[in-house]
Amino acid sequence: MKALTGSRLADGEAVFLSDGGWVDRFARAQLFADDDAALAAEAHAKTQITVVVDPYLIDVIEVEGGWAPLSYRERVRAMGPTNKLDHGKQAEGGEEFEVLSHAHGAARSKGRVELIKRK
Amino acid sequence: MYRYDAIDKEILADRVAEFREQCQRRLAGELTEDQFKRLRLMNGLYLQLHAYMLRIAIPYGGLTSGQLRRLAHIARTYDRGYGHFTTRTNLQLHWIKLKDAPDILAELAEVGMHAIQTSGNDIRNITADPLAGINADEADDPRVWVEVLRQWSTFHPEFSFLPRKFKIAVTASPADRAATKIYDIGLRLHRNAAGELGFEMLVGGGLGRTPYLGPTIRQHLPVRHLLSYMQAILRVYNRHGRRDNIWKARIKVLVASLGAEAFAREVEAEWESTDKAAIDLPDTELARIRSAFIAPAFEKLPATSATFDAAKADPAFARFARHNVRPHKVPGYAIVDVSLKKPGETPGDCSSDQMDLIADVAERWSLDEIRVAYEQNLILPHVKLDDVPAVWKALDGAELATPNIGLVSDIIACPGLDYCSLANARAIPIAQAIATRFADPVLAEKVGKLDIKISGCINACGHHHVGAIGILGVDKKGEEFYQVSLGGSGEADASLGQILGPALPAGKVAEAVDQLVDVYLRERQDGERFLDTFRRTGMTPFKEAVYADAH
Repeated sequence: MKALTGSRLADGEAVFLSDGGWVDRFARAQLFADDDAALAAEAHAKTQITVVVDPYLIDVIEVEGGWAPLSYRERVRAMGPTNKLDHGKQAEGGEEFEVLSHAHGAARSKGRVELIKRK
Repeated sequence: MYRYDAIDKEILADRVAEFREQCQRRLAGELTEDQFKRLRLMNGLYLQLHAYMLRIAIPYGGLTSGQLRRLAHIARTYDRGYGHFTTRTNLQLHWIKLKDAPDILAELAEVGMHAIQTSGNDIRNITADPLAGINADEADDPRVWVEVLRQWSTFHPEFSFLPRKFKIAVTASPADRAATKIYDIGLRLHRNAAGELGFEMLVGGGLGRTPYLGPTIRQHLPVRHLLSYMQAILRVYNRHGRRDNIWKARIKVLVASLGAEAFAREVEAEWESTDKAAIDLPDTELARIRSAFIAPAFEKLPATSATFDAAKADPAFARFARHNVRPHKVPGYAIVDVSLKKPGETPGDCSSDQMDLIADVAERWSLDEIRVAYEQNLILPHVKLDDVPAVWKALDGAELATPNIGLVSDIIACPGLDYCSLANARAIPIAQAIATRFADPVLAEKVGKLDIKISGCINACGHHHVGAIGILGVDKKGEEFYQVSLGGSGEADASLGQILGPALPAGKVAEAVDQLVDVYLRERQDGERFLDTFRRTGMTPFKEAVYADAH
């Protein structure tokens, strides 16, 4: 399963594609079971240059209570910094962050790999 | 401190206007991200995990109270009410919006600040000994020469697109408080046997994936030739640096591959063919810049203070005086270290309220000056001994008086995976866990001087290679792991750390530091720092303690 993420141009906020629009909560992200559909969504997102910066697909896994990004880096993006729990998306609290915070297992993020390639 | 003149101000105003237009064009879609990225980076604006990050330059770590108040105001107005001081003595704001960036740069320009040379493959913001001008053992004030280099290098067309970023540090003291051996160029001002002022030129130091301590390529360069010699070094680098491979593009790789002697010969040949008189700074210009760094009007005071001595009856103040107060070259004055390392807090973070308080304290008691040290702490450079107790009380009320400068809880840590797009692992929580274990000031004092330095990736912003205990976050089969090294130093006795053994999981790192400290306390001989004991005993006892369970 995959989700499409990127950074919102105006403020750099981590955002996720959700049924054609971009939302800042991972819990509302559209999940792609089909790789071709995911790649098509990514290709389209790359044309939305006034909305989102550097969109890329992330792997998503099923965890207790819902879904979570596989990569630790992407879970930090979806929640906020672990040293300041009152900053970032997690500051608003809610069950969706409980799900993310209980997820474990980590993997390299395509976001980081592509960033380094582009340097 | 150098104050921006009309020309400097005009340059900054033009730059802000230019970037404002570039931002507008980006938001309107007239520029793509690929086109815009290099423009925003030239203005210190990065895109990180949660938001844009603005890296603000603080040349030679020097701030006035007014400048620090402006930083507090910017952090409060445009960010989340705090900033992060870095190992390059810059200030990073981690929650910036693109639309606000031009307004922030305009606010910075009003107080003679900017974010130029904090990114890109140019000569980056130049650092210096934070005790410049106030310690008794320096040959000259290194800030004069940093300012010379800053004015020469800013927007220098030939050196704005180097093979890779380029960092310079300057010291004028035998005690290297600027870590000059780990810089692309480290400059050490000294006087030769004839009493002439010159630079020892170290070239090709650096950390990152392939760490090197910079070798000396010239023992004594007369100061009048600084700019022509710097040009020669940069021309050789520009000509031969590896633009084809980002991992081999830093000058350290060029110096290592040619060998320091061959590299030095290339530089000398280039320099000999240079019209030095056309490049070197005229004496009148040097005098103009030097006049910005004349010592403030110190009072004639007794060398000791009854008020200061009496305050030591309070054990908490006495401890602060032992660890956070250093001698000033002028009798009756002291240098006071402001710790940004309260155990459990994020190393280097400073809230807007704390910045305002430090600015007030500096205005009242430190001749309006603040310094930033690369260890991610602040310094009040000119405090009368009589006033130190009052300064301590004011700092203590804002949780800025932790008496731990140079001790085990004074940990350097980069922002790591909590903020940085390039990180592999978190650095801050590791630092918090270790510092919390050594939060008891009696224990920290018992352990003594111990530099712990943590980086969240191999880029080594947290200087882990030169930590007595260095900790590097790595991605091991997709999990956060930490490689521990021992025996590094970034000071006058510079050395690179040696890897202790297999990387440890996050939950084991603080415990491992405890075990390493226990070995040190068991093995140490009179007066030895952790580093000294390690250098005497070698790795074996430390390794045995941490990996005992594995046997």
